[in-house]
Amino acid sequence: MKKLIYIPLLLTAILLYTGCGDGFLDIPPQGRVTEEEIRTNPNAAVDLTNGVYNVMWLGGFGPDVHGLQFITLTSIVSDDADKGSTPQDYSPALEIDNFTYGPTNAIVGNLWTGYYQAIARANQALDKLPLSPIDEADKNRLIGEVRFLRGYFYFNLVRTYGGVPKIDRVPTPEEANSDAFQTRATAADIYALIIEDLQFAVDNLPLKGATPVGRITKGAAQMLLGKVYMYQKNWQKTFELSQAVITSGLYDTLSNYADIWRTRGANSIESIFEVQTGTNAACNAAIELYANSQGIRARRGWSDFGFGFNNPTADLVAAYEPGDKRREATIITIQPNGTVLWDGFRVPSRDSVENDRYNYKAYHSRTQEPYCNSPDRTPKNLRVLRYGELLLQYAEAANELGNTGEALAKLNIVRKRAGLPNAVSGGQADLRLKIWRERRVELAMEHDRFWDLVRTGRAGVVMRAHGKNFVDNKNELFPIPQDQRLLSNNRLTQNPGYN
Amino acid sequence: MKPGLLLYSVFLWLFLQPLATLARGSGAFMQAITIKGTVKGSDGAPIPGVTIQVKGTSTGTVTQPDGTYSINVPDANATLQFSYIGYTQQEIALAGRTTVDVVMTSSASELEQVVVVGYGTRRKRDVTGAVGSVRGEEIAKQPVNTATQGVQGKLAGVQIISSGQPGSQPQVRVRGTGSMLAGAEPLYVVDGILTNDIRNINTADIVSMDVLKDASSAAIYGVRGANGVIIITTKRGQAGKMEVSYNMTAGWRQAANLVEMANTQQYTAFLADAGPQVTIPDFGADTDWYGDVLRKGFQQTHNISLSGGSEKFLYYFNVGYLTDQGIVRNNQYDRFTIRSNNEWNIVEDKLKFVTQLSYMHNETDFVQLDDIYTNTYRAAPVIPIKRDGRYGNTSAFQNVGNPILTLDKTNDEIYENRLQGTTYLEYSPWKWLRLRSSIGVNQGFQNRRKYNDKYLNDEVTFLVAGGNQQRPESQLTIVKEQGTEWLWENTATYQQRFDKHDLTVLAGYTAQKYAGDYIEGSRRNVPNSTDLWYLIAGDPNTSTNTSDGDKYARTSILARVNYSYDDKYLLSASFRNDASSRFPSDNRNGYFPAVGLGWVISQEDFMQNQKLFNFLKLRGSWGRIGNDNIASNLYILTANSGLLYFFNGTATLGTNLSDIKDRNLKWETTQEYDFGLEFSMMDSRLTGEVNYYNKETIDALVTVRIPGLLGDPDNEYTTNAGSFVNKGWEFTLGWKDKISDDFNYTIGGNLTLNDNKVTGLNQGQPLFRGGVGQQGNITKTDNGQPIGSFFVLDAEGVFQNQAEIDNYLNKDGGKIQPNAAPGDLRYRDANGDGLINSDDRVYAGSYQPKLYYGINLGANYKSFDFSVDFYGNAGNKIYNGKKAFRYEITDNIEASYADKRWTSARPSTTDPRVLLGSTPASDYFIESGNFFRMNNITLGYSLPKAVLERIKFERLRIYLTSQNLFTIKKFTGFSPELVSGATKRDGFLSLQNSTSPLDAGIELYPYPTTKTFAIGLNVTF
Repeated sequence: MKKLIYIPLLLTAILLYTGCGDGFLDIPPQGRVTEEEIRTNPNAAVDLTNGVYNVMWLGGFGPDVHGLQFITLTSIVSDDADKGSTPQDYSPALEIDNFTYGPTNAIVGNLWTGYYQAIARANQALDKLPLSPIDEADKNRLIGEVRFLRGYFYFNLVRTYGGVPKIDRVPTPEEANSDAFQTRATAADIYALIIEDLQFAVDNLPLKGATPVGRITKGAAQMLLGKVYMYQKNWQKTFELSQAVITSGLYDTLSNYADIWRTRGANSIESIFEVQTGTNAACNAAIELYANSQGIRARRGWSDFGFGFNNPTADLVAAYEPGDKRREATIITIQPNGTVLWDGFRVPSRDSVENDRYNYKAYHSRTQEPYCNSPDRTPKNLRVLRYGELLLQYAEAANELGNTGEALAKLNIVRKRAGLPNAVSGGQADLRLKIWRERRVELAMEHDRFWDLVRTGRAGVVMRAHGKNFVDNKNELFPIPQDQRLLSNNRLTQNPGYN
Repeated sequence: MKPGLLLYSVFLWLFLQPLATLARGSGAFMQAITIKGTVKGSDGAPIPGVTIQVKGTSTGTVTQPDGTYSINVPDANATLQFSYIGYTQQEIALAGRTTVDVVMTSSASELEQVVVVGYGTRRKRDVTGAVGSVRGEEIAKQPVNTATQGVQGKLAGVQIISSGQPGSQPQVRVRGTGSMLAGAEPLYVVDGILTNDIRNINTADIVSMDVLKDASSAAIYGVRGANGVIIITTKRGQAGKMEVSYNMTAGWRQAANLVEMANTQQYTAFLADAGPQVTIPDFGADTDWYGDVLRKGFQQTHNISLSGGSEKFLYYFNVGYLTDQGIVRNNQYDRFTIRSNNEWNIVEDKLKFVTQLSYMHNETDFVQLDDIYTNTYRAAPVIPIKRDGRYGNTSAFQNVGNPILTLDKTNDEIYENRLQGTTYLEYSPWKWLRLRSSIGVNQGFQNRRKYNDKYLNDEVTFLVAGGNQQRPESQLTIVKEQGTEWLWENTATYQQRFDKHDLTVLAGYTAQKYAGDYIEGSRRNVPNSTDLWYLIAGDPNTSTNTSDGDKYARTSILARVNYSYDDKYLLSASFRNDASSRFPSDNRNGYFPAVGLGWVISQEDFMQNQKLFNFLKLRGSWGRIGNDNIASNLYILTANSGLLYFFNGTATLGTNLSDIKDRNLKWETTQEYDFGLEFSMMDSRLTGEVNYYNKETIDALVTVRIPGLLGDPDNEYTTNAGSFVNKGWEFTLGWKDKISDDFNYTIGGNLTLNDNKVTGLNQGQPLFRGGVGQQGNITKTDNGQPIGSFFVLDAEGVFQNQAEIDNYLNKDGGKIQPNAAPGDLRYRDANGDGLINSDDRVYAGSYQPKLYYGINLGANYKSFDFSVDFYGNAGNKIYNGKKAFRYEITDNIEASYADKRWTSARPSTTDPRVLLGSTPASDYFIESGNFFRMNNITLGYSLPKAVLERIKFERLRIYLTSQNLFTIKKFTGFSPELVSGATKRDGFLSLQNSTSPLDAGIELYPYPTTKTFAIGLNVTF
């Protein structure tokens, strides 16, 4: 038994030799890729780029890119939609609908943090992409995709808040708190960054068909850049870029307007930039709370389709000309004795649901379309840019440049599909109004209306006529979130009217 | 071979060794002067297992079961020391005698008792820090599942909050809340194994639990000591004939307190007022949902132990079994434990080999309480539970799941195995030097199988169709988890007494490593049959799986010096250097020094003529300790991978790097001063201790909100930016007296005052936590306030009529609450801006008690023994979160609220007309957390000696006991003792209650404290 004494001695020797020497305490994270490994892995750049696309699914009740809070600030705020749901539900959205919001509104805060999270992902990818060993063309394509997305994120930010801090790279920990990052750039500076990003994308991205479906194309970059120039009233650029998309011959209108928002219309000939979704085993591969938040809300007696937010208004219903096929494709109207939806589902009756109307463009069939029992993540692609809008932005630019014939031609393509007679021009100003009205109904419930009203300078008049308490030179922009201002030590200035 | 695997193999081999040794006999030993005698207690009963040592040598023995002993001494004038835990140590000079009989007196004073201080023991009288001790039998006699629970109320400075959930670990706070975001639980040391989880320890195996409360005592555990250290020593065999004992308890548990919910009539009346638009379905039901969800739970424990041995070999073996049904339907916990502790004296006084090994297996029918309790609380009494096999459809009416259906359709079983033990070899080349090398292993395996059956919201399942409660596809989830930790410690202890100088020096080196991982998989559409609950039976297209792991390592160097002069002046100093893999290499090393001084005044010459004090000691100490109880790699930026997107319709993976991490993260550091006075008076009948402590924690981990534009997903990062102080007083008093041979009694009490205050949040950002529904965060942690203080509106009363609302005006003449209606709460415009909003929130107390106390009474009369313990606390608040968290107007209300709420016919000045989800957080929901509880009451009867001898038993005792017989409290919820958050079910080797001290004291879905009635039996053959 005395030999037992050798056991600890033996162990001492072994442990000192193998275990407790140098490096015993250097344990890398388990199951996590570290930043260092990303720098040296050739696939990492591609993975980081994919990670930027993924951020477009951010939604829910926290930081938001395309979820309910995005819907609130782009659609519920406008005259096209009311908050919906039950009167008490989700009071921050009611504040937006009623123009009683202030800088502490949670939605205003969550869109800010959501978009900056998206921008941070883009910047991280752009930080690592140049280090990647892949060939130049592929690298530039990936950089182009990420810069397109960053440009898109900033475009939504600048339209929501005006000038915002310009974060165009990954800040070092030391400089994160510097004035350069913690103060607002001007809107012009942000637009310059957007244009620079999108121009790079136009110059480096392949055409549709030459890149996998879902990846950003040259056409998408041209259309978005054209739209950005439209906000700057640079009509020549808008015209040229939109024309390039048309002449590429890769896009057209989809004959059945209603199909655009169904799975059968996903990535169709009409689609130019579309957020991709799908089904996976975990059933979470979609924008959180996009379709479900707008789904039909039951009072009782049946299992409903969602929260019932973002209801089309009567005002929007009235905006359609008689015979416009788009009205039925855009709005679910609940009839007193029930309404049958396109997939055959029958909503029992008006008194079984909370609201009169719901957004058809957000409706996702649980029986006729892919669905895996996860309502909060319904696989509904978000159509961000499509050919119908492109035609209208082309027409608007053409009209502003005095090219009435081109303007009317493209406007009437849109009207024809809607089953409406051709429009005629009563002069430049008259045609401008006709194009604007067409934008409203063609793009209804597609997150464009409020920004479009602000762009065209009509927001105050239209919103007040709609009974909303819109204050000129204030409500064109949302306030800078109060807590973000505090975190910057008030270096972030507030927008006019919100102090 | 990997060192961990090697250690484990050695360990397993050692586990099997005792059987071989048991077969061998014991050897003879050398001749010298032999001293014999008997050791008895003051009641005349022999005491086995008393350690007898020849003073100044390492020669020693222990008494036999009949109390007799025999020891060889080198000379006739030697001095013998008699010691036994719980009894006063005695020194008796032989002066030529060869027979020495001794009567040991129980040391209720605890001053003379030996306490375990970490890597060694000290007499309590020689200790310079604050150490508390509870004997194992005090714990074992209580019908509780974990040893920790049994210590409640026994020690000053140790606050224990226990949930009634079977298999859960109580929450412990030693001298106040010691952290905000890192773990605030103490370190447990079980026979040298450092762990966070002692649910595997059978209370029957425990000799003592010693709590190192102050920094100078805990500093020997360095970076793990900041929340105090609880040292558990398990039983060992005593030389003599084999002793067999059987102990059992059997009884039942039930909720100690229930909340009565509104009945159909009260509920209907409330809705008629608060929600007239709601059509209430009429099933003729008046359902008591709690009545069906809760039940009386059967509980039993059985322990059989064998112990004994010779001078060469000592053994202790115990098998234990415990069943605890719990009080929630479908819940059950069964535990099986084995312990085998053995000691070989290979070479008398020179070489000793010890193994202390335990195995635990448990099976839990787990119930996820969050959902069940929330729904039970909300479910309307107008909906029946179940009729003719079909369930009441609560969700069709009120968007609440039927909790009974949820329980019936879920099967969640958890199996755990745990192997834990230490083995060491101790070599003493000279009597003044002991070298010890010990290997400890702590290993756990857990399997979980969760099956959710499918059901639809149709008329097959429900009385009426509809609602959201349905699961169209069944789902099976399997989780397997394992973790292994080894600890290797080498210490050298030098102990020498020269003349009046007594010196002990300890030095050591330790290394430790943990590696663990889990794998989880699930599939849907698995048939409902136990035999088919494997993933292969499910739809492969719905497979999900994941796995993850964790590893960390630590190395330490430790040293301690204890010096005393003439038993009068005491000095101890210790030092530990810890290095941890959880921190970046620059911050990896920590140094934790401590020093303590003591002065035994009663030993001074000038005290020799007074009769008042038998013992009087003054002591003071200072120490620094750390807390590295945070997630591994919190400082390293890692990528999130597996981010999906679709290209060409094909799922493609992406990654991102977006967390902002503090690359200079380090552990929290706590520094503490401690002063104490210990005394024993009136022939040692009155003993007491007073402590003052002041501990400051710096570099406390806090989350700091960072600007959104940096893109961090939660806009927070964790850094060392906080500091806070706990200071307080501890008082302990004990009285014991013996009136006659037939009657003696003890009275003990302890009281702790603690004051917790945040002193610095370097970046100036308070922490808001404690989310309650739409009310948002209701606690705020900021400078000058206790951690986790409630921060809510101040409700001043109820508006009785419109005139009161119209007259509640601000200085501009505007209405302060323009939207209020009669019956609404009136809030104080605390900031005077004329509006009521979140800027009017004020501090309204915290869950941390200002004081807590325990009272322990005991008496023996002839063959009867009786004891009763009380525990209570005061000065804390509870937020009645379940009442505040209203999802829908149709949620049920409490009966007391139904009876007290404001109506125009029955005005109330306290309770508003309606409670809605949008009712803001206010002190209306805050209630007093004070309570006073009878912790345990036990009455026992032991068969008299004469009878025992006739039936050949050593001992036979039968007793009745009750845990938590009654509680006096103001709080209207289930329990004033709230373990915030449920015990986490994963990562069990580094188990944490998922409590954040920032969320403490919000009652949302607690497992009610239970009361237990049991009958017990102790038999020794």
